[in-house]
Amino acid sequence: MTSVSIHDTGALFQIAEPTDQRRAQRRPGRGIGIDLGTTNSLVALAPHGAAPRVLRDSSGSGLVPSVVAYTTDPPLVGRAAQALQAEHPSQVLSSVKRLMGRGLADIDFAHPYHLSEETPGLLRIDVGAPVGSQADSASRRVTPTEVSAAILRELKLRAEAELGEPCDGAVITVPAYFDDAQRQATRDAGRIAGLQVYRLLAEPTAAALAYGLDRGGEGLFAVYDLGGGTFDISLLRLHKGVFQVLATGGDSALGGDDFDRALAARLLQRSGVGEPTRNQLDAARLAARAAKERLTEATATRVALPGLPELEVTRAEFEALIEPLAQRTLRACRQALKDAGLRAPELDGVVLVGGSTRVPKIRELVAETFKRPPLADIDPDEVVAWGAAIQADILSGSAREGVTLLDVVPLSLGLETMGGIVEKIIPRNATIPIAARQVFTNYAEHQTGMVIHVVQGERELARDCRSLARFDLKGIPRLPPSMARVEVTFQLDADALLTVSARELMTGVRQSVEVKPTYGLSEEEVDRLVMESLDHAGDDYARRNAAEARVELGRVVLALRTAVAEVGHLRELLPDDERAGLEAALAAADAAMADPDAAADPLNRARTALEKVSEPFARRRMERALNAGMAGKSLHDIERALADEDALQEKRAGHTPELLEPEEP
Amino acid sequence: MPSLTVTSRAAKVMRDQLARRGTPQACIRLGIRGGGCTGYSYLFEFEDKPPRPNDLVVEQDGVRVVVDPKSLFYLDGTEVDFETGIRGHGFKFKNPNTKDSCGCGESVSF
Repeated sequence: MTSVSIHDTGALFQIAEPTDQRRAQRRPGRGIGIDLGTTNSLVALAPHGAAPRVLRDSSGSGLVPSVVAYTTDPPLVGRAAQALQAEHPSQVLSSVKRLMGRGLADIDFAHPYHLSEETPGLLRIDVGAPVGSQADSASRRVTPTEVSAAILRELKLRAEAELGEPCDGAVITVPAYFDDAQRQATRDAGRIAGLQVYRLLAEPTAAALAYGLDRGGEGLFAVYDLGGGTFDISLLRLHKGVFQVLATGGDSALGGDDFDRALAARLLQRSGVGEPTRNQLDAARLAARAAKERLTEATATRVALPGLPELEVTRAEFEALIEPLAQRTLRACRQALKDAGLRAPELDGVVLVGGSTRVPKIRELVAETFKRPPLADIDPDEVVAWGAAIQADILSGSAREGVTLLDVVPLSLGLETMGGIVEKIIPRNATIPIAARQVFTNYAEHQTGMVIHVVQGERELARDCRSLARFDLKGIPRLPPSMARVEVTFQLDADALLTVSARELMTGVRQSVEVKPTYGLSEEEVDRLVMESLDHAGDDYARRNAAEARVELGRVVLALRTAVAEVGHLRELLPDDERAGLEAALAAADAAMADPDAAADPLNRARTALEKVSEPFARRRMERALNAGMAGKSLHDIERALADEDALQEKRAGHTPELLEPEEP
Repeated sequence: MPSLTVTSRAAKVMRDQLARRGTPQACIRLGIRGGGCTGYSYLFEFEDKPPRPNDLVVEQDGVRVVVDPKSLFYLDGTEVDFETGIRGHGFKFKNPNTKDSCGCGESVSF
């Protein structure tokens, strides 16, 4: 909001009736799909029914490391942040997805961060003051939601640079097992990043969509997702256009990184290095990773560790090393099938997700376990983003074939009853919106109140589930045990907002509570963060304006070049001195555009200069065209042409705001 | 403190329109949203719900105009007026933050 030159055409506005903004605002083709991953994130577009494509940086990589460096303000995201990680381990945050929607008590894994929890259920990470700031600068504490928002903002900018205009909304993928708090935290992150989150989509569902498995309308699918550090298996059922998660399983500490470690250990052992130094270990891991990737194509490869003789590694040796790890994933697959009550032959398809599924041995073992070759045509790193992009395109309002997925309840919602036992009211996978009610009774004669404790989860005991809300229903009449009747209604609206109400049927006493799946971030706090995110809005605008200015300048340059070429040698249209000025302005425009990071101002200046210098030329061309057009035409023809023009003007006028009735003075 | 002003003339038209609509107590919501050919467009509509906690509420001659905090960032210093002229009658937003408008003037860039 710096350079402000008011150019106001002064449109007049009328007050409109309120619209359902979420629908009215949609802009077909401007929906983006985001795979917000633990290690890497991606953004993809599939506008107007086009095939999805992941957006890449100048080096051709579609993966944005999910790393945010708070060494500066604003923070750095992606590769630039990753480069600072070793130097500033507590200020450079990675794998924050594992902290989303969690409280301190949930964090049972190792991490290098300083965490605190002032508000119950709301983690904050102390990231210190920016590097180089004054010694007494206040330390900053960020929530995982804000960190994710920084990543999402980066992806949004990448998409907008590609679209050349603001994106309308996004579909963001989340693991199938994410509960309401984790989902809400992800939604909030989207909002803070300035994205309208159309929908959160389960990662396995997105992978199935990428392969168009929804087209059949029905089916049973397995999604095998082996990433760098995590393994997930999901069994999905598609029934009447609704994907349901039948079972999930996996191992949050098993992935391709373990393959690298196993191979690195073998390489060091074969080189006779008994106790490797930190540097040797790092070098061995890098070499192992590269060898692993080469062994996808080759059956043998040579590996050289610094200062040690070269070794040959065969694919067979590598496969033998990773076999025990692969077997762990297969055990999880068999367990998931058992949980879902399915046998492998009943499946209609198996989808591979995650870079580690490129390993041929993994493909072979998956095919064996599921008794069919897996679907692997789409890059397994990108398949989830593809599915998200397809769904985003549909939700942006594009006419695209495909199901509009219904949202389902990811985990059952219920109440705690006597003895801490959970009574499920809304079952997992129910499609929303949904309402359900159940009648409960008192258990003691002197009982005049009832605590309604709302929980979410699949476990049988309330203490193993996530507590969502707790409220009291008072004023129950004194009645013998089991005679009072309290009807509890759970209502889940389309935005997954849960309202729980309880009513004593005899007295009509009622009590209700809106349950926001709180993980601690209040509505106000999200609003505040949205506002704060505007502090960096200046950068966004600058980038967008520059993109627009570039397009506009390119258009003018092209039009003028075409015109000059058409005119050729005609001096009366373009005198030599004028031509020279024009060429100079065109060269200046080219020079301005040559800088890929050019800001809007120099580009706009070049355009203005070009327009000014070409103005006499443009006028002469116009006059000549008019003369040529009128030559040999009767007055009647010309009048008719003018009448057509008037009609066109009238049509255009139809777009101006509707007139108000004259007001009393 | 960000601000927004509504001229008495604009307030009068708003009041009359609210009365004619049968909702004299409703608010008018002014905001900025994405979209329109130059990037952003104005949102200008009747608001039947009460103002939200973080809204800026401007009261002029008994009419309440509400603006959400995000939009306010783009609307700071705007004067809402009502004009009658050769182009018809309508509300006019004199917004010092706009840099450019599209031909129809309904969308703006900052």
